[in-house]
Amino acid sequence: MTVTADTAPAAAAPAPPRSAFGAAFDRGFEILCFSAATFLLTALGGIVVSLVIGGWPAFQTFGLNFFVSAEWDPVQEIYGAAGAVTGTLVSATLALVLALPLSLGIAIFLVELCPPILRRPIGTAVELLAGIPSIVYGMWGLFVFAPWFAKHVQMPIMMSARPGTLWETITTGVPNGAGILSASIILAIMILPFIAATMRELLLTIPAQVRESAYGLGSTTFEVVRKVSLPYIRTGAIGAVMLGLGRALGETMAVTFIIGNAHGFPTSIFASGSTIASTIANEFAEATEELHAASLIALGLVLFVITFAVLALARLLIGRQQHT
Amino acid sequence: MNVQVEMPQETAVLELPPEIVKLQIKDLNFFYGQKQSLFDVSVSFAANAVTALIGPSGCGKSTLLRTLNRIYNLYPGQRATGQVLLDGEDMLGPRVNVAALRARIGMVFQKPTPFPMSIFDNVAYGVRLYEKLGKADLANRVEDSLRRAALWDEVKDKLKESGLSLSGGQQQRLCVARGIAVKPEVLLLDEPASALDPISTARLEETISELKRDYTIVIVTHNMGQAARLSDHTGFMYLGKLVEFGETEQLFTNPVTTRARDYITGRFG
Amino acid sequence: MSTSPAPRLARRINELVFLAFCWTATAVALLFLAAILWSLLSQGIGGLDLDIFTKSTPAPGSVGGLLNAIVGSLMMCVVAMVGAVLVGVLAGTWLSEYARDSHYGKVVRFLNDVLLSAPSILVGLFVYEVLVAPVKGFSGLAGSVALGLLAAPVITRTTEDVLRLQPTALREASVALGAPVWRTILAVIWKSARGGMLTGALLAFARISGETAPLLFTALNNQFLSFDLTKPTANLPVVIFNFALSAYDDWRRLAWAGALLIAATVLTVTVVARILAREPRRS
Repeated sequence: MTVTADTAPAAAAPAPPRSAFGAAFDRGFEILCFSAATFLLTALGGIVVSLVIGGWPAFQTFGLNFFVSAEWDPVQEIYGAAGAVTGTLVSATLALVLALPLSLGIAIFLVELCPPILRRPIGTAVELLAGIPSIVYGMWGLFVFAPWFAKHVQMPIMMSARPGTLWETITTGVPNGAGILSASIILAIMILPFIAATMRELLLTIPAQVRESAYGLGSTTFEVVRKVSLPYIRTGAIGAVMLGLGRALGETMAVTFIIGNAHGFPTSIFASGSTIASTIANEFAEATEELHAASLIALGLVLFVITFAVLALARLLIGRQQHT
Repeated sequence: MNVQVEMPQETAVLELPPEIVKLQIKDLNFFYGQKQSLFDVSVSFAANAVTALIGPSGCGKSTLLRTLNRIYNLYPGQRATGQVLLDGEDMLGPRVNVAALRARIGMVFQKPTPFPMSIFDNVAYGVRLYEKLGKADLANRVEDSLRRAALWDEVKDKLKESGLSLSGGQQQRLCVARGIAVKPEVLLLDEPASALDPISTARLEETISELKRDYTIVIVTHNMGQAARLSDHTGFMYLGKLVEFGETEQLFTNPVTTRARDYITGRFG
Repeated sequence: MSTSPAPRLARRINELVFLAFCWTATAVALLFLAAILWSLLSQGIGGLDLDIFTKSTPAPGSVGGLLNAIVGSLMMCVVAMVGAVLVGVLAGTWLSEYARDSHYGKVVRFLNDVLLSAPSILVGLFVYEVLVAPVKGFSGLAGSVALGLLAAPVITRTTEDVLRLQPTALREASVALGAPVWRTILAVIWKSARGGMLTGALLAFARISGETAPLLFTALNNQFLSFDLTKPTANLPVVIFNFALSAYDDWRRLAWAGALLIAATVLTVTVVARILAREPRRS
């Protein structure tokens, strides 16, 4: 190797020993990372196993009745999940029905209509809505929203319902603003930012040329959205909706505050009810009888199965959209 | 040209005299999973010279380069067969310490890849991996490397600033400095100027010509002017095969194979 | 709005109704945000005095604050975050740097996503079964574990996402200098992605600092100031829950003050995280 004069001292030094410094750690580090990933997997597995083991006495005692019966009586030690399961499904579905059009509207607003200056502040504001802790939603729902709701929505509707009609049946209840519908509305506000954010991301994946060529043909915004954008993001949008549903199903604190916490089948949209999560939150710390605790854990398992199915489907759909 | 029909050769690979060979490649095949992308490549690179690899995109010239320092080992499914002899020692064998090999055969990439750290730390990064140098020695090494890469005068007052704050051309010379700081024996350059403006390219080419005195340099380029200006030997590759290899001047003025001739004349009009 | 020559009336009306709906939907969301923030401020600001930070939760009718709950929440969140960052960063690194599209990697990624949005109360049940029931004692540590299990998937996900954004050339450049892979990840890839990883950690922190459900039967509560995480530990969310549903006005006032405190923390952290995420990165 030739060496220039000015760099001679450095360059003339003998080739440094090429020891494999630290290369031995390579395998170790990979194993460390692998273990962390596997730990997460184990945690999820642990949740399932612990729920099955903990809930087993309840399944054993009540058998199929656990799923069919809506009777929940800690005094006589009779437990059935049907009431809580129905409450969970009804409140989450109602929430979704309310949140879906709103979040679509917001996503389209942010992508298509929003003046560029407002895009960031409004986007952040919607994100903040997602950031508000569940318990704050609960307090606000119970102390601020419920009284307002009772006075301005529930009362007028109940007053106007003609006796004997179906409408009267599904709108009876204590006019205190707490109940299934109130819980659904609060849930809707909570899941709305999540669905809107996912929808917005999906809308942004539509190639600009696709939309532009539709506009170029003289389409209105409505037509572009309905005929081009929505069909384009359909699969992913369904996934986003399922994701929102998953959240609504498992949401605990806000619902516990405002759903009224009554066991049994909910009979009207204003009636008190309970969800799986709210039942567990209310009773588990005080469930001293073994069967009571086991029944609550069994409820947890039911919730897990429902949300897992919904979330898994959501992830599959969103993943498919992103890969095509 | 005489009337006699000339039979163009399929391949023509010049054999270098063994005493000037630094890096010798024998029967090299390369596979991306099932797909083979290098076919029986055999060629030698001379010490203290610049060898250019040219050819249309996808011809395997970058793959060949990436085989030489076994960077492909990062990706499961990619494998090479054959031999790469560095000073007569096979580098493809299973017992070779790959990290140490890579310290002997440095590489500079197509796009500048400054690390997210100061200019000084960028250059010192590789040195610190293998050598325990004192503060002063390390500083000397960094200065020396930056000088050789013709970057010292531009950065000597801001060594503590982020490597990302430099311009594209400066970043690429920083990467060269980083590559030579570990005192490799061979320097691989993978289209190092393709992301640079003409002025930066010219400076980088000067640097490369300077470095030739101390290193064996292999450069992949799509710019034939650059290959002609910089290199002593040139290899032309096509569809994963080395079609022609020889003295740069001879290959550019009088290529022996039809493929090389078509490519070179096609490019030059 | 449209460049086409005079759309028919029906189209025009459809368009107007549609546009009005989108504007309204956004307005509704903003209205709710404003209403919630206004309630928090108007109900909570009155209770925010020095006592909140210097006195522990009182018996009904006496003067007190939230000191024990604030301290407990902070301790549990810190412990949870330490564990979650460790697990999440390593797991995310494995997914991005080692697993890529391997079969097992896909399974882990998928189940991590499920864990990410699994109901938090189930995580609480799990930790109760594993850490509370066997030793017959609620503890702050169990609460930390529950919170950590909620934060880890968030960090795993964001870590993987930002690491995948790092250019391949950066990895190769480091490896080409003879650096072992682990060192390349630590010194180059993590360093290059630190902004995004910090954002992920902050979002995870924002998520767990307001979580209530998993603490109800893990950390439980504690009337007194305690630094012992092996005992039941007071924490803001559970105190708010208990106080808000109580019949005492001063407890409810404390609950609102606590809610304001938590919401302010969470929203500040969220905004900071978003700003960090937006910071322009030179490539």
